[in-house]
Amino acid sequence: MAPRHLCAMVLCELLASRGWLMMLRGMSRRLVNPSLKRKRPETDSPGLVDAERAILDSIKGKKDLGIWARDIKQETKLADHVVNKSLKSLLAKKLIKEVVNIQNKGKKHYMAVEFEPSKEISGGEWYVDGNLDKELINVLKQLCLRYLRTQKVATLDGVYNDLKKNRVVTFDISNQQVSEILNSMVLDNDLIEVKSTGLGDYHSIPIGTVCYRIASAAGVAKGPKVGAFASIPCGACPRINLCTPNGVISPGTCVYYNKWLSIDF
Amino acid sequence: MVSLHGVQLATHLISSFYGDLCSKVCECLLRRGTLTLAQIIRFTELSRENVINCLRVLIHQNCVQAFAIQQEGAFGEAPRIITQYMALFDNMIHKMRAPKFMQIVSEELGKDVGSSDVHVVRESFNRLLIARFIERCPAPEPFLAPPADGETPAKKRGAKSAKIGEERQTTEQRALAAAAPMDSMRFLMEMDDLSEEKSEECTNSVTVGEKRKQDVLKSDEDVLDADKKKEVLWRVNFEELVRRLRHKACISYVKTRINDEAAIVLSAMLELSRHSETWQKAENSAYLSINAIYDEVIKKEGGLGMDFERIRASLEQLGCQCLETGVESVVLRRYGREAYRIFRLLSKAGRFLESDKISDTTFVEKKDTIKILYKLWKDDYLHMEKVMTSGAKQSLFLLWRVNKEPLREHVLDEMYHAALNLRLRIAHEQDKGKEILQLPREKLVGELEKRYKLLGKVRVILESSLMNLDEAIMLFHDF
Repeated sequence: MAPRHLCAMVLCELLASRGWLMMLRGMSRRLVNPSLKRKRPETDSPGLVDAERAILDSIKGKKDLGIWARDIKQETKLADHVVNKSLKSLLAKKLIKEVVNIQNKGKKHYMAVEFEPSKEISGGEWYVDGNLDKELINVLKQLCLRYLRTQKVATLDGVYNDLKKNRVVTFDISNQQVSEILNSMVLDNDLIEVKSTGLGDYHSIPIGTVCYRIASAAGVAKGPKVGAFASIPCGACPRINLCTPNGVISPGTCVYYNKWLSIDF
Repeated sequence: MVSLHGVQLATHLISSFYGDLCSKVCECLLRRGTLTLAQIIRFTELSRENVINCLRVLIHQNCVQAFAIQQEGAFGEAPRIITQYMALFDNMIHKMRAPKFMQIVSEELGKDVGSSDVHVVRESFNRLLIARFIERCPAPEPFLAPPADGETPAKKRGAKSAKIGEERQTTEQRALAAAAPMDSMRFLMEMDDLSEEKSEECTNSVTVGEKRKQDVLKSDEDVLDADKKKEVLWRVNFEELVRRLRHKACISYVKTRINDEAAIVLSAMLELSRHSETWQKAENSAYLSINAIYDEVIKKEGGLGMDFERIRASLEQLGCQCLETGVESVVLRRYGREAYRIFRLLSKAGRFLESDKISDTTFVEKKDTIKILYKLWKDDYLHMEKVMTSGAKQSLFLLWRVNKEPLREHVLDEMYHAALNLRLRIAHEQDKGKEILQLPREKLVGELEKRYKLLGKVRVILESSLMNLDEAIMLFHDF
């Protein structure tokens, strides 16, 4: 199989696994539709003791922000062992769930099952269990680059439509998400952002529309003269502020210079 | 004021070329600003004779400019005229660019400008003048008239000078302007050597390839030979040489960053603007019509066949991103790729951004984002402000931005530091290998030959790096 096809297959498999996970999440959202809650509002907490009810009310009150265990204790004024026991019971009854709070991953954060964590807690669409989903981001970047290599220039809509049309992405990805991916690639200097002039390569794109093209191969560090400082040890040195002509760190004794000049000690 | 490492580099250069005493005087002027002779003697703790000799050398070499100013008398005394001396930092740094300047001159005019035959010298002189590589010397001691009653010099010169700030800086700029020959005279060759244009004719400086010595006289006339016969003296026009180097670097940058066509257009534009009477700074370049650019472009190799539409497209892409790219390169190498993304975001935004927004846009974990931002801030690459929101729940927000002008000065200072380090390392390697370098060729065999070759290789790496860094310094300094 040609490497290109193999690569595409690997990408699809990875996305499929992501898509599968995303579908499950979506399903779980549909499964916990509050319709059940609406049907029997007074029985959503059957068999709860007072303490559990109080704690559940406290957690539900925070909706999609959730609440930290210690805050529950402060709010309900219940003893620690009572709160802990109640939380275990509520978890077992699937009335509440533990979520990761990206602001403080070490602390246990609780939320009622009918809510999804807000962006403030989860970190947003690009976060999974409190961590940035770097694998997904990299895959999407590669897909965008693959499309842009076949075009001299492309708009956001062009890239988005390509991803949707070729069904390489098995989950719902928004135009906004593709825009975020492209912008991060501009920041990485993999792409350059330009505005259409309506001429030449831009003839089919309305004037003023934001477009993207692959950045030139010269890149950043290989640029002439302006990269000259970065290409010597001083440019990369984290100790330049401590370096003096006759100090402990000095050009005469610098280990980075020795390595650069391939001089033996 | 000159930055810390700028002072160190300039002092080191003066020491290399003219000795430690001159470097002491130079350092004193760079650190303390414009001073009188008496003040220089007091601060350097050198003898009067030594200070006078050093000032004479530094003035001859265009590293110091003298000017006369009226000082108000104390306790009812009449005002008197005093002479002050100011350091010319740029000209000191130019000392390390002499080989580069010689290369530009020989590329344009050939190698025979150094001949001693009088006819060849005169012919070479004319060619240097036409190319504007040499210019008339400034006046040795222009007099600055006191400002009109009720006005400070800053107010008198208007909003632009008010922006500059302190009165002392305005005085120095006035001194340079007063010393400079008139634009119409600057490159004008007189038939005889006498010139009557200005009473403060330059009586000292360097003629092409020669030094002049002055007789020792009293007071500040010891330094400035007021009685010498007035004659036109000439010096190297650094402004033109730096402009050529800057243009070359810009064209090369554009060729790499955009494409050949954009480089051709820029080259044509720069050629057209070269002989206009404009200041060196990019923002004051003359505007050029598209027709003039087109006419010039089609003369260039590769330019024939370019039409207006392609020129327009190229011009649209031409933006001077030299400085930003240089700083970004440093951030990438020193702090890593995530820091590079963060820095580029803030640089492009040009305003404050909050930490979470930065994290979301750059796809960097929130905790890592904060660490990177603090590191960049600690090293003066970013500006930070804290905002506390009041209300039911108090929250602390950290806002970050790139301040371009302070950053440019900071990076320029680091580049001066690096240039000084390269020079010191070159000297260090020379010193370490002096025994081998002094050996006759026939003895350089085996291990000695290996070490000799290594010394040569090291020297090439260091000197070529210094040349490249120096061109980047020129770009940073002038933009």
